Order: sequence, then C-alpha cells, then structure tokens
Amino acid sequence: MIHSILKQAETQAIEPASAGNPSMTSSIDQTAHDQGDSQTDLQLVRKVRNGDRAAFDLLVLKYQSRVASIISRYVFDSHEVMDLTQETFVKAFRAIDRFRGDSAFYTWLYRIAVNTAKNYLEARSRRPQSSADSADAENYDDGQRLRDIASPEKLLQRDQLQRALNKAIDALPEELRSAFLLREYDGLSYEDIARILECPIGTVRSRIFRARDAVDRHLGPLLNHSASN
Amino acid sequence: MDDRLRETLSAMMDDEADELAVRRLLSFSDQDEVRGQWQRWQQIHDLMHGTGAAADSVSPAADVSAGVWQRLDGVVPASEHDSAKATGRQQWHWPAVAMVAMALVVGFGAGSGWQNAGDPELIAAETAAEQNTAASTAAVSEVSLQGLDERQRQQIRRYLLEHAQHNSVGAGRGSVGYARLVSVDAGGY
Repeated sequence: MIHSILKQAETQAIEPASAGNPSMTSSIDQTAHDQGDSQTDLQLVRKVRNGDRAAFDLLVLKYQSRVASIISRYVFDSHEVMDLTQETFVKAFRAIDRFRGDSAFYTWLYRIAVNTAKNYLEARSRRPQSSADSADAENYDDGQRLRDIASPEKLLQRDQLQRALNKAIDALPEELRSAFLLREYDGLSYEDIARILECPIGTVRSRIFRARDAVDRHLGPLLNHSASN
Repeated sequence: MDDRLRETLSAMMDDEADELAVRRLLSFSDQDEVRGQWQRWQQIHDLMHGTGAAADSVSPAADVSAGVWQRLDGVVPASEHDSAKATGRQQWHWPAVAMVAMALVVGFGAGSGWQNAGDPELIAAETAAEQNTAASTAAVSEVSLQGLDERQRQQIRRYLLEHAQHNSVGAGRGSVGYARLVSVDAGGY
C-alpha cells in the first residue's frame, strides 16, 4: 500500500499528464492541504491583528496565486486580475478582525475574492465572462483557462518549469523524495509520514526541508525568471 | 537565515510549526530573506499542485503584497474598480441625499414652527429650552401636563389618537413634523 502511494505520487510528479490537467488532482489535494493549513494561518491572523505586517505578507505570498486564479475565472484581463487580487487582500486586511475562524482562512479569503470579482463585473454592468460561481469555482479547470488565455511564451515557460520540477524531484535521494511527496501530494502529517517511513518525526521534518531546499536550488534561476516576467 | 530557521519555515508551510516557532520567524531581523524563501517555496508548491496556473499566465508571480501595502497606506489611490463603483453609487446617491435633506428641512421646519422664523426672541427661547431639555425631559413633560382642564385633556387624547393614526398610515414619514406642528393650545380642537 505504501509502495502504491509512493508510486502514485511519483507518477503525478513525473508524468507531464498531471501538468496537462492539474485541476483534476489539485482541487482534491488542495482542499486537503488547505484544511490542514489552518493552524498556521490562524497563528498568522492573530499576528496580523496585533499589527504584524510581516505576518500578513506571508499570507499574501501564500495565497496570491490561488486568489489570482479564482479571479481569472471571472476576469480575463491580466491587469484587472492583478488589480482585483490586490483589492481582495486589501479587503481581507481591513476585515481581519471580523474573521472569526469558523472556517479556514482560505475559505474566507475565497469568498472575498469571488465577491470582489462579481462586484467588479456588476459595477461595470457586464455579465460574468464565466458562468463559474462559488460552487463551480472549486472544480474549475485552470488548465483549460490557461490554454485559453495564456500566451505561447507563458505556456512554454510553464512547461519548462514543470519539466525542471519533475527532474528535480526525480533527482532527490529516495528517502527525501518519499517524505516530500507524501507530504505534498498526499497531504499527510509529519506524524503519519513518520509512521509510514518508520523514522522519527524530526527526521521527517528534516527530510522534507532538505527536499524542498534541493528542489528550490534546482529551479532557482527558472523561478527568478518567472517572477521577473 | 540559518538552516534551523529555514527548517522551521518549511515546517510552517506544512502546518507543523508551533506558535513559538512562528513568533521566532516573524521576529527574525531579515524579514526580506524569510519572505523570499517563503515565496519561492510557495511557488514550488503551487507548481506541484497546478494551482495558479491561470494566475501565472495572466499575472506574473509579481509582488502582490507591495501593491496591497501601497493601497493600504494610501500611496496608490482607490482602484479603477472602486472609482467605477463610486461613480455608480453617486448617480443615485445625490438625488437620494437631496430627497432626504428636503424631507428633513420640511419636517423640522414645520415642526419647529415656520411662523417663528425671523423672530429672534422666540428662536432664542427655543434654543434655551432645547438646551435644558436633555437634563429635565421628564420634569418638563410632567409639568406641562399639570393643571390642564377637561377640554385640554380631551384635546390631548384626540391629538394622540390622530398622531398614532398618522404614524401608522405614513409609516413614520412626516408624522414627527406633524406631531410637533400640532399644538395642544391650537384652536380647532
């Protein structure tokens, strides 16, 4: 069973098919991942409430891509997407005291993003360019939208990044790769991974960090290139 | 940032860092380094999950937070979106504001008695009375009802009935002014 999990996870990472239709795996994995992330988010939210800007920065960096992704389901223009993404975070920051923590922070942010996009379209007296609503948005095919609106250059760049990522993961020592993939793709806790790999939690923590670091170094120039474009 | 701190940051990405560790990270002197590392790992995470595929294609992995802080600090004016909304609102806000203002003028003007307008003594008296009202509302209302004869009491009863009727029919609109306009001492009751 462990072998099959690892094999499946490795296949997802290595085969380009998973990159071709990321939403199929991402929405499920992402949901599990988001739910598990709530403690860190809550800690950061508490810090933000105490006036810690750096904490809010980390939340923005963590969720900016996902928020932009949600908004791009409603709005096509890249400047508008950027504008509304920023506006979503501005609204979230101003309303952070009203976040009660009943739901995950991302769920709360998600609603703000959807409402911001819808209000924008309403204000412009336009119908939404996509029929996606809050429910549909969870299962929306980002890959399809990517093919619809991305420039060939962007698609190529993303393809390069995906291949480099697969290569970097493939090059990891087995023990690092196993821990890293069980965490990233299966969303398992360090405790569960430790049980599966039969090693201490501290070792799991260290292995995942080292794997992440190695992938980062491998992708380094490409990530910088992506950020500067 | 040493490896120990970076390992903590990695654990934080996985929701495996305790509050003390988060605090330690946020109090680290070089926040740019923390931020940079966090951003890169988030990008890798997004790439692995295909999240933000569309977002990356329409907006670069740009520094959204810089724009957010500029807006929050008021460096950048309200977005085009805000302007559009504001313009939309203004189109119906001004007539509405004008209507409310007009209703208030009519209501309070009538209530305070336009017949007194221009009479400095009455205005001064009313002003003085209003200043004392807050402190002695109960006393004033009690006093004003004392010493009324039977005719005046009947007038008050009719007035109250009529006031209630107007209130229910007009759902409050204009009835306050009407109530103030009608005086106990007015003739015809």
